[in-house]
Amino acid sequence: MNDRPLDGYVEAEVQRALAEDIGVAEQGITIVRREHTLVLCGEVESAARRDEVVRVMGERFPDVTIETDIGVIRAGAPTAAEELT
Amino acid sequence: MIRIAAVGDVHLDEDVLGRFRPALDQLPEHADVLLLAGDLTRHGTEEEARCVATEFGDLAVPVVAVLGNHDYHCDQVPQVVRVLEDAGIIVLEGDGTVLDCSGTRLGVAGAKGFGGGFAGRCASEFGEPEMKAFVRTTSAIAEKLGAALRDLECDVRVALTHYSPVPDTLAGEPPEIYPFLGSYLLGQAIDATDTALALHGHAHHGTERGRTPGGVRVRNVAHPVIKQAYSVYRLTDAQVSPNAAPGR
Repeated sequence: MNDRPLDGYVEAEVQRALAEDIGVAEQGITIVRREHTLVLCGEVESAARRDEVVRVMGERFPDVTIETDIGVIRAGAPTAAEELT
Repeated sequence: MIRIAAVGDVHLDEDVLGRFRPALDQLPEHADVLLLAGDLTRHGTEEEARCVATEFGDLAVPVVAVLGNHDYHCDQVPQVVRVLEDAGIIVLEGDGTVLDCSGTRLGVAGAKGFGGGFAGRCASEFGEPEMKAFVRTTSAIAEKLGAALRDLECDVRVALTHYSPVPDTLAGEPPEIYPFLGSYLLGQAIDATDTALALHGHAHHGTERGRTPGGVRVRNVAHPVIKQAYSVYRLTDAQVSPNAAPGR
């Protein structure tokens, strides 16, 4: 049932849960409040962490429609260096 | 020429083990040293620190680190530091180290740093004890960072923090949270000494490049900002002067 009004209090609760839930601990995820949906955007260090964000938020906020657009940060070797002259 | 590799905010735990390693195996071809700008772990546990030691230990170049706010979360800082040091990683907090890079002495002074904000929009040491303690925490850290930079006997100085010394590299973050992302006091400490480069992390949505008011190059190397295993900065001979003067 997704019937909770999407006000600033919900947004604040979700933001704090992202940081304070010990299984999530993400401070770098942006929350975008749309008319009927909260969209979580950002990047995390693994696919498992992205899945955990989705699971925990669904469990803690069953009455809020939350969509996620979270990527996994690339970790390849650099292709160029910056020369500081 | 000194080649400095740097990354911050890698937030290691078992699920990340091995992700950085292929790029780290190429590190000696690209850099003389690797600097880690804090938030090495997710919650600051000894177990997570072991993951950092596994991923970033046993490299062919020296590794120097500061801790970040995540590394303090579980109140296991001494254990975290011990695990990292046992893996050969030099951990700085208000002190410095000098490394020999092919005959050039690279001095790195480091501290986690703290918040407080920037000129015209910063917290003041006034009012409630909690507010005064907040500002005093940053002041004390900045003072130690400044002294550590000053005391380095080297040819080139680099400052390493987790929190930002300037607002430039926070561009992209909501301005309302700048006071939680850094402090001008760190920039002032860096500008007080002849520093060639300042590296920090913490601001995941920030920008890579900035400068202190004194003209020192600042780079935000938070992993979500640089989007690669590490960035490499080459300090040319113009920044490397034998017996670099401590005063500015």
